[in-house]
Amino acid sequence: MPGQVLSEDVLPVPHKSSMPLKLGPGLRHAPPSTITTSLAGPLCIDRKKNAIWVENNSGRYIPQTNDVIIATVHHSSTDWYHCSITPYTTFAQLPQLAFEGATKKTRPQLTSGGLIYARVVAASKHLDPEIACYNPSTGKSEGLGELKGGMVFDISLGMARRLLLNKQREEGKLVILEDIAEQVAFEIAVGRNGKVWISANGVKETLLVGKALQTVDEEVLNVDEQKKLAKKLLRQV
Amino acid sequence: MTKDVVLSPLARADGSASCTSNGYSVIAAVNGPVEVQRRDEIPEESAIDVVLRPAIGVGGVRERHLESIIEKTLRQVILVSAHPRTLIQITLQVVAAPVDSNASNNLHQSASNLSLLPILLQSSMLALLSTSLPLTMTFTSTLIAVSRSGELVRKASVKALKEAASLHVLAFSSLGELLLAESEGAFDVDIWDQVYRWAEKDCRKSDLGDPTQTDDVDMDLSKPGSLEDSLRSIIEEKAAREYRWKES
Repeated sequence: MPGQVLSEDVLPVPHKSSMPLKLGPGLRHAPPSTITTSLAGPLCIDRKKNAIWVENNSGRYIPQTNDVIIATVHHSSTDWYHCSITPYTTFAQLPQLAFEGATKKTRPQLTSGGLIYARVVAASKHLDPEIACYNPSTGKSEGLGELKGGMVFDISLGMARRLLLNKQREEGKLVILEDIAEQVAFEIAVGRNGKVWISANGVKETLLVGKALQTVDEEVLNVDEQKKLAKKLLRQV
Repeated sequence: MTKDVVLSPLARADGSASCTSNGYSVIAAVNGPVEVQRRDEIPEESAIDVVLRPAIGVGGVRERHLESIIEKTLRQVILVSAHPRTLIQITLQVVAAPVDSNASNNLHQSASNLSLLPILLQSSMLALLSTSLPLTMTFTSTLIAVSRSGELVRKASVKALKEAASLHVLAFSSLGELLLAESEGAFDVDIWDQVYRWAEKDCRKSDLGDPTQTDDVDMDLSKPGSLEDSLRSIIEEKAAREYRWKES
């Protein structure tokens, strides 16, 4: 619950004393050594990384550096595209040259309403977020860029984080995508801002995958229930 | 008070809660942080906009008064410095108000301004928790009526509210501080002290155990616990539902 002070015995003890304690979302540090919570939810501790945070699933997405997001282009000006990450918040800035291989003459033409898969480059509570569709150190797009075709579905923020885990099956307990992928081919892009873009051969397949993800999210299905749902849906194809 | 609570009934709002208690039913929706109009912008803090809509008709002076009280209370609770130059919008819709049977020619919806306040505060608190906005603390609030004979009444009926000598709304934060005290009618300091003790007993956690202890299984909703206990159990239920996938 917000406002609680964490007692020192719940904090993880690092292996090496040089390792600093990392505080994740939902925790505040008041010098010298008081840690209070600011969100309601289960407290999670990673002893290996010496990190501690409060898990939460709901609410509005707040841009953080290095998050991948799905944004909508709202309008463009001479040097920037202005993109909306979440509705009714200030627009994120996307430089028109922040694409793989883009030069002044060969810049991608995005129209308003177009979808882009991008990475948050700079985010601060005092500034508008800045996003980019390429990795500045390598110049490669690494899968980011304009999303053509397909459909976007809304999911909860917690679900988006689960889909972006490296070990989706082991840590996220998600099997629905793998099960569906055995019979239906589709492309997927997951944004940390609670959006998932899906493109398959037909509208029917796209909707099937999207609806399956939304059902898993809303009804909080476990592994067995996900397998059952996948079987049921695939029978309809 | 928090017996009939639904968290996140509205799908499109960032967070919402609906509460039913003592004849009143309120839906609260929170949207935020969103872009703020230039004239409402605060450079270092987020602006809080409370919109209260009555069950019948459009809001008037009474609603504006309640809105300002709620806004001032919530400003203490929300971590306003976390999202500067933004707006946190809280919309409260009264869905049902208790029907006053012998007030056929009464144009006023209710005899008192204050009888609605605790449930409004309670539902906005729950909606804020459902939005996962960073908060400094939580709070609970209660209404206590003092009858003409000097008796204190919790959960007063419409009739009792009308006949009461004074009404008091008190809110306590989870840190144990008095957050809000609104009174109406005639009373003296002794009565107020008594009201304070009653309200504190209603709101505050019955025993302040180890705050890190998360496996309070014996916390039962049917048991008449304090408001803070029931607030906690509502949030625990929500967390248990959302993280069901982790167990299997």
